[in-house]
Amino acid sequence: MGLSDRGAILIRSRWRNPLWPALLCLLLPGCGLLIDAVEQVWPVTGSKVDIICERERVQVGLAMEPFRPFVFPTIWTDEGARVTGLDVELIRAMTEELSRRCGRPVVPVLHLVRFRDLFRLLNEGHLDWFVSAVATNTPAPTRAGVAYSLPYFYGGGISGITTSSDVLHRVQANVQEQARHPAADRLAATSHALDGLTVAVQAETSAYYYAEANLSANRLLVCDSLPAAFEYADAQTEPRIDVILGAQPVLEYMVKRVRKDWSPLVRENGLPLFLTKADYGVVVAEDSYRLRWLVNDLLLKLEESGRLQAMRSRWLDEDYAFPRRASLEGLPFDVEKMAAHYIQGSCRLKPAP
Amino acid sequence: MNSRTAVSVIVVILSVLLQPLSTWAVERAEVEETARLLATLLESGRAVIERNQALIDNPHKGDKGFTPHLFEQQLVQEFRGKTGIDLAALPAAPASIVIPPLAKELLPALVQASRDVVKDAQVVINQRGIGYKNFIPATWGSQASARFSTSSHVRLKQTALDARNPKNEPDEYEASVLNWLSARPRAEAFVSELTEEGRTLRVVMPIYYAKDCLTCHGEPKGDLDISGYPKEGHREGDLAGAITVTAPLGTR
Repeated sequence: MGLSDRGAILIRSRWRNPLWPALLCLLLPGCGLLIDAVEQVWPVTGSKVDIICERERVQVGLAMEPFRPFVFPTIWTDEGARVTGLDVELIRAMTEELSRRCGRPVVPVLHLVRFRDLFRLLNEGHLDWFVSAVATNTPAPTRAGVAYSLPYFYGGGISGITTSSDVLHRVQANVQEQARHPAADRLAATSHALDGLTVAVQAETSAYYYAEANLSANRLLVCDSLPAAFEYADAQTEPRIDVILGAQPVLEYMVKRVRKDWSPLVRENGLPLFLTKADYGVVVAEDSYRLRWLVNDLLLKLEESGRLQAMRSRWLDEDYAFPRRASLEGLPFDVEKMAAHYIQGSCRLKPAP
Repeated sequence: MNSRTAVSVIVVILSVLLQPLSTWAVERAEVEETARLLATLLESGRAVIERNQALIDNPHKGDKGFTPHLFEQQLVQEFRGKTGIDLAALPAAPASIVIPPLAKELLPALVQASRDVVKDAQVVINQRGIGYKNFIPATWGSQASARFSTSSHVRLKQTALDARNPKNEPDEYEASVLNWLSARPRAEAFVSELTEEGRTLRVVMPIYYAKDCLTCHGEPKGDLDISGYPKEGHREGDLAGAITVTAPLGTR
């Protein structure tokens, strides 16, 4: 039993007669605030799962910045504004399963916010969980207080793309050079493959934390989004971007379908050059123990039924146009809670330490 | 009874008998004209969206400035160009056969619904870094029609023989009219007919493909367009579909 559950029982046993708190409330102005504060510590109304079932809504966070094919840009459909992608289908499937568990229909309320705000909103209790191709193994101080579910996507990780064949060959040569020293630290060796290059990353993503921790011999451009990095590169702004680092499946989708003028960093054998590997999971608050069990169980059920595999294949392997899928199966989102509109932002050079 | 009295009696009887008929004819004419104006207004809105498509799809611009207010201004202008009616001056305009009382009531409601769609779509339109957003005449029109129809007793619908949106599939009557229209050269006309044993009036106004529409609906037939639908291989001036207005008669 978690601390929250114990707290709930403690509160219930002390206030067996519901009249007492009510009477006390009449005497205390601002009692609502007090109750809110107490609930943060001892959730008197039960666990997060009970709360979700009770309110028949699950508050789910999703990144505004497109991480295709996990999250596509929001578009307009005959039904209104919709968002779609692998992560959106996952939300839909999890909510369907959750409805069965709750014994009543549960509706997902999507909060489309900046990626960097997802962690804060979860910690502040505004979200029940969020999902946006989030690596479950990123060492970063800003990601404290969160926990990850079982993976729903395996074999992701950080890789890069470039428009320059010179850069590609240089990276390959560096990797080969490092491979001659099998005893060397792999992490250091791989990161040396990018030595001297100007590298762009999206702020506060796994690629950003990787670059910040491991790429000391590089110029680092910190961008607000992947489209911002592309725009910066297209404008040929100095210093020119040699490599964009990011989530490998996202970059692979981009170079195959959207930005065919870019190429992935690959090894001599043609396989992607992974700087690190990662699985992607659903993110929940660290102390939402029952919810995490539930999320894990929902994912396990989807995995065992083959539905997760079908989803992955549908979004990563098939040919499709996302506006059509958004029209047919996209989810609405809470426009009121979304920022005024998506602004892809810009890139700036991170000062050398 | 002399012959003069007999004629007078016949005239009185006829006028009593024909009065409902003439009232009914006037009502039909008013509803028909209202329906035609509503269809024209929806078509005007589609034209405004089409004219601003490049701006809406500009990936390099965040705030497009395509506000509900600007849209309304352009809508009013477009509608005035097509009908000669100034929607801004509508409240003060006298009711007549040109602007029936029903039209005075419903046209502003459709303007409001149209404007609301643009307002709600701002979050999509103003994305920067995203090109195609699927905010096109057809999706705007579907939403505007749906919103208007839920708040009024008159139903607006976009329809086509090869509708991409299943909700826009024609019913039997619409299909027969569309087939009839497709066999005829383009004309600025509309089809009006009583249905449901004269209880309902249906006005079907054809829409024809303009040059800009062919990016998605033109050649080569079968190739997927930007939104993932197979192109239909149409040419400029081909029948694209129709706007159907269904209004009850005898409600007044």
